Order: sequence, then C-alpha cells, then structure tokens
Amino acid sequence: MDRRTFFKKSIGASILAGSYLALGSKERLFASMTQPRTALPFDLVAIRGGEPEEMFRKGIEALGGIKAFVKKGQKVVIKPNMGWDVPPERGGNTNPKLMVEIVKQCLGAGAKEVYVFDHTCDDWRRCYRNSGIESAVKEAGAKVAPAHTEGYYHDVTIPAGEVLKKAKEHELVLESDVFFNVPILKDHESARLTAALKNLMGDVWDRRFWHANDLHQCIADFATFRKPTLNIVDAYYVMKRNGPRGVSVEDVVTMKAQLISADMVAVDTASAKLFGIDPTEIPHIQMAADQKVGRMDLEKLNIKRITI
Amino acid sequence: MQSLKKIRVVVSILFFLPLTFLFLDVGAVVPPLVSNILVSVQIVPSLTRTFKLLTLTSLGLLIVFLLTVGFGRVYCSSLCPLGTLQDVVIRIAQRNRKRGWFRYKKAPFLLHYSLLAVSAVAFVGGSMMLLNLLEPFSSYGRILSTLAHPAVVLVNNGVALVFECFGVYSVPTLSVRFVNAGAFLFPLIFLGVVVYLSYNYGRLFCNSLCPAGALLGLLSRVSLFKIVIDEETCTQCRLCEKVCKARCIEADTKRLDFSACVSCFNCIDVCPSVGLRYEAGWKKKAALRVEVNRGRRIFINAAIASAVTVALPRIPPNDTLATRCPTFDESRRNPVVPPGAVSVEHFSSYCTACHLCISVCPTQVLYPSFLEYGIAGVFQPKMDYNTSYCNYDCNLCTEICPSGAILPVDVPAKKLIQIGKASFVKEDCIVITKKKDCGACAEHCPTKAVKMVPYENKLMLPELNNDICVGCGACEHSCPTTPRKAIYIVANSVHLEAKKPPVQKLEEAVEKSKEFPF
Repeated sequence: MDRRTFFKKSIGASILAGSYLALGSKERLFASMTQPRTALPFDLVAIRGGEPEEMFRKGIEALGGIKAFVKKGQKVVIKPNMGWDVPPERGGNTNPKLMVEIVKQCLGAGAKEVYVFDHTCDDWRRCYRNSGIESAVKEAGAKVAPAHTEGYYHDVTIPAGEVLKKAKEHELVLESDVFFNVPILKDHESARLTAALKNLMGDVWDRRFWHANDLHQCIADFATFRKPTLNIVDAYYVMKRNGPRGVSVEDVVTMKAQLISADMVAVDTASAKLFGIDPTEIPHIQMAADQKVGRMDLEKLNIKRITI
Repeated sequence: MQSLKKIRVVVSILFFLPLTFLFLDVGAVVPPLVSNILVSVQIVPSLTRTFKLLTLTSLGLLIVFLLTVGFGRVYCSSLCPLGTLQDVVIRIAQRNRKRGWFRYKKAPFLLHYSLLAVSAVAFVGGSMMLLNLLEPFSSYGRILSTLAHPAVVLVNNGVALVFECFGVYSVPTLSVRFVNAGAFLFPLIFLGVVVYLSYNYGRLFCNSLCPAGALLGLLSRVSLFKIVIDEETCTQCRLCEKVCKARCIEADTKRLDFSACVSCFNCIDVCPSVGLRYEAGWKKKAALRVEVNRGRRIFINAAIASAVTVALPRIPPNDTLATRCPTFDESRRNPVVPPGAVSVEHFSSYCTACHLCISVCPTQVLYPSFLEYGIAGVFQPKMDYNTSYCNYDCNLCTEICPSGAILPVDVPAKKLIQIGKASFVKEDCIVITKKKDCGACAEHCPTKAVKMVPYENKLMLPELNNDICVGCGACEHSCPTTPRKAIYIVANSVHLEAKKPPVQKLEEAVEKSKEFPF
C-alpha cells in the first residue's frame, strides 16, 4: 500500500483529525527512490557567459539532453532555493529564468507533472511571490507546492548519518521519480557557502536540530540519504557577502555561470572555486566527500567547460 | 415605511459578512484599503484613531455620527457585527420559543452611561481595559480570531488533505494559532454572555454594557428622524412592543424611548395600523421624556469609578536588564510592540484589541497577550518570537490597524524602526557550548546586525551591532538553543530609529572573466 492509497483509505478519519498536526509523525510507507542511471558523458558541466536559460540548454545538451533524465510520464520535483523574501536581482533565490527553462524542458520531455517547492525561512507566501519563481514556473506549467507546515514532511531514517540519523523530508521528494536540486550559489554565514549540499536543507522540516547539532555534519549526513538526479547550481547572480539573505544589491556580483553535475560534492567543490574560496575550508564539503557522497578531486573528473 | 426593515437587514448582511471574512481571511486576499474602508465605520476604533490622526477613516466616524444624528442608532442595527450576531441569536430564539416575544423594560441607563463615562475617562487616562472588554467590534474580532479561526483551519486542512491525496497542492495547510488560556477563555465567556443575553433579553447588551451603544444612545436623543407612536392611530395592539428587541416600546403608555432604540424597524414592519411613524422630530415635539437629573448622578458615579480604573496597574516600561540567573534576565518578559506602535505606552493606550493585525499577520508573529501589558491593556497583541518573526519587508499590520495603536508606516520607514535590540548570551550559544558552527541568527538577520566573526578553531561566533538592529526577532526565532535562546530581543519601550545597514560597493560588480578556476 503506497502512501496515496493509504491516504485514500484513511481519508474519513483524516478529515476529522483535520489539522496538519495529525499528519505529523506518519511513517514512510514506501521504498526509497532508486534511479537507474547510465553513465553520463561528463562528471561536471560548467558554463559561463550566457543567460541562465541559455546556459542550461547548452549544459543539459552536453549531458545528453533532458530526455536522458526525464522519461515520459514521470513525476519531476525541482527544489530551488527560494527561502528569502527578496527579488531575483538580490541573488538570494534561484533565478526564475533558469527555473522556467528546466520546467519547460521537463514537460517537453513528457513529464507527467513538475512540482516546485521550498521550505522557506522568511514568510513562505512572500518568498514564493517575491522570488519571482511562483508566477514564472506556474506559467511554464509547473505546480507550486507549499512546504510551510509539518504535515507535508514524513519521517526518513538516514543509515549513513553520523549525527543526523533521522529527519522529516518533504513528501514530494519522497514521491518523485526525478529530483532536480537547483540551488543558487551564495555566501552563507552559517555554512560558509551554500550550493547543492546546503540546498537540501530546504527539503526537511526540523532545521533547528541541524543548527544545534553540528550544522556541517548534518548537511553531509543528509547528503548520504538522497542523491538528486541532477544538481544545477545557478551562479548568474552571486551573493558575495552577507549571505544567505544579503542586505542589498551591492552584495551581488553578476557572474553569469552555471554548474551541472549528478555529484553534489563535485559541483560544490567547483562552486567554491568559482566563488573564490578554498573548498577544503568548507567543512561540510569535506565531510560529504569523506562519507563518499561524491568527489572533491576535480582534476581527476571529466569536466566539460562551455563558454558562451 | 415597511421596507425600512428590509433595507436594515440587507445593509447589516453587507457589513457583517465582509467583516467576518476580514478576520478569517486565511488566504490574505483582502487588500488593506478595502479593510480600512469597511472598518472605518466601527466607531470605537475609529474614534481612538481619530484622537491620534485624522485620516480617511475618520470620515467613517463622521458618517456614523451624522447617520445617528439624522436617523438614530443605525450603527447598532446595521453596521455593528456584534449587533448582527445578536440579531441572528434573537431570530433563532424567536423560532424556538412560543413565547418568543419581548416586553418593555426600562434600559439600565445608570449602569450604561456610567460604563461609558468610565471608559471615556479611562481612555483619556491611558487605560483601554473597559473598552477592550466591552467594545463590540473588537469583541467580535476576538471571538473570530480566537474561536472561529481554529475551525476554519480545521476545515481548510481537511480540504487540503483531500486535495493533497490527488497531487493537488493549491490549498495550502494552515497552522492553528495557540493562545494562552486567558486570551482564549475570555472571548468564549464573552460570547456565552452575549448569546445568553440576546437569547433571553434581546439587545440588552447594547443598552447596558456596550460603550458604543451608550455613546450613540446619547447622540440619538437629538436625532432628526425618530420613531414615534401616533397616539391617534395606535390601537395598542402591542405587536410593536413584542417585536422590539431593544425593549424600548411601552405600548400601555404609548411611549418609545428612542435613545435605547437600535433602529431595527421591526415595529414599523409589524404595525398593522400605521400607528408608528419614522419621521422628522420637528413634526412632533418631545416624543420621549427624559428623566432630568439622571445625567448628574451618573457622572459623579462615573468619575469615582474612573479614578479607580486609571489607577489600575500598568506595566512600567523597563528596558534595563535585571539579572535573575546568569543567562536569564527579566527584560525578556517585556512585550515587544510592532513597528508603527511608537511606544508601549502609545500602543497600549490606543489598541482596542480587535486582533485584526493578528488575523492578517503573514508570519503570525503577532500574538494575543493576556496580562502582559497589565490589566489596562488586556488582550492587546504583542510580538511572539517563539512562534515567528517580523518579516523585514512587510508592513501589513501598520496598514490595517483601525484604532491608531499601530500607525501607518511605509516599508522603507518601517525598516528603520527599531522595536527592540538583540541581546546575546555567549554562554548559551551553540558555538561556545558545543564547539560547533551554527550561525542561524546571523543567517536570518535582514540587516546583518548579527554577523559571524572568526572564533577559535576556525569556528564563527555571532557579533552584534545594535545600531542597525530593528528588533524583528529573526535571530531569536531561529536560535536553536533550549530552554533559553542564546540571542533574544529586548523590547524598546519607546521605539528608536535604527541606522541604515552600511552598503559598500563590491570591487567588481560584473565578473568579466570567462575562465574556469578548476
């Protein structure tokens, strides 16, 4: 019995229980997602000099096109960073143009449905609206899902976690066939830098636990649990300081870059270098590499560099 | 003339339903301007606001006063949501009872006008207690925000759940606002009392406890148009007395006390012999006889009572830290008032505790207090940083407040209002206690008043710059330490101006390089 059937059967009782609280501690009722994947032509694709949508088109093409990742009838979940109530030019949230392009390509490849959500920090309605993502991806045909109450999250256990042994993950990710992790590259006062690894923190409910119990280790631990289909790091506008929220547009540099990889550690290592910081200085990248989430040795990886 | 009642019913529905929706607008669809216009005719908040500033909402107050002087207490019959709520109860009562008829009963003027006088003197003296307890619009607002909102949440979440099962996420779930027992029980008891009174005694609340009713009762004594009984055509069939929910018609003596009349026009509607007329006062002199010496007695009583109310305890503003245990100080208990509230004193002297701000606050950081402002400011909202924090770019509460307690400020101005200052207790911080990175506070801080600076072993520790702190509470809310937050906001009892966060240009705003550093 998968979750949906379970829900349908228990719907009467659930309506009575009504409140999101009732859904809080539901056990996961279905198996972990496994993504059969053939070897990709490149470990990492790095693109510079174009508009976000253009860079994605070139990048995904180099990896064999979107159809290598999205099959007909599949359910795609795209997780941007839209955690802050700031407009796109502030570089606090993933670029809406990039989001739109990904949505369009997924739907073009025959995806049954494409969902977008984020567990925001600022008020979620304002974040969804003012990031420009909600209206843009809706227009492109995606469904925007809320993630602001505990009921949307379900218990998962993280066998390889050292500190973080369980968490509550958003149900859409749990149900997805294809999961795209689409962070924006930013300075970050807590995690030093935010890119692919850190962005997955927006999939879980209780982030306070992470902050209270070795943030870096928790980020690395959670990365052992789920490997996104692809990580697409938006480095068009890059917040160089005062991250992750930023104070003004003066914190932002227009970098016009993008990194795509199935390897979170590799893409974050490259992100750090692009940002201008030594990746070994960022504890969670090192920890994730140590836990075999991915590889930091970029020199040994097969990297495709595209300049537009 | 017979259509007057129908007009009254239509108008009251036109006000009642939208007003109700305002407090339950979980999707935040009503623009502040619409809300302002709707609420502007609610006389108590409109009146207190007019004391503070003259705006368009004062026009609503003027209109109600003119309406009253012209036509009697139409506010009570049509504009007051608590009045309409009572009418609903009265209607049910009349259906349920064979003997569902009213009999004339002299309204308790002494009590009623005393309460008005006490409320007025107390308001001037800075205490909102009586108004907050009895004012009809605010009471209705509290009933909705405390009792009805959870029901709406329950239904909404039920629907959301069904939709969710089919992969539809267009109905987001909502959270129940938890309130403390006092703030929850009072609206419940109040509702019980109002329902009981109206079920058994019609609009007795409006003619005994309601300060708005008293004020308008005074005004309606000089109303241009009044309902009068025509001595000649009246057949003393008593039908009018039986349907008068204000119980102000005495058929035996053919008298009608228009100051207690709530202008429901039931009497005119029911009169078979055109014995009641709604007509200009100059046509017939002195349809009602006022007892002469009542006024003086009332005011003497009131003055004494007022002195007592004003003397009731208020929280002394205290921004200084009185240490109780090393990492806890009493200042944590001082209530933080929202931006635009000017000071705790100003806020507490104007807020009628209608909880409209609580209803619209997108982050739900506004929370109904019970006695945190002292008994004078009972039920007034405060910022609760445990639940949430004030969104930096939002000024909704300042736009919505009908009573002048939160004055309108635009977003750029709001960003420079310091409602409190951060206080950091190093000994409680994760970085010190666990020797691990955290930084949740700095991460959430919109101005970077909290910044991370290098500490030992490559760790980063928060550092404060309170010049640019606005007191939004993002740091306190996100701080993961328990049981006490290592960083928290100390209220500014008088709001201050925060400095603008310093802005430095980056050396290179556009990166020209097309190289890959890997």
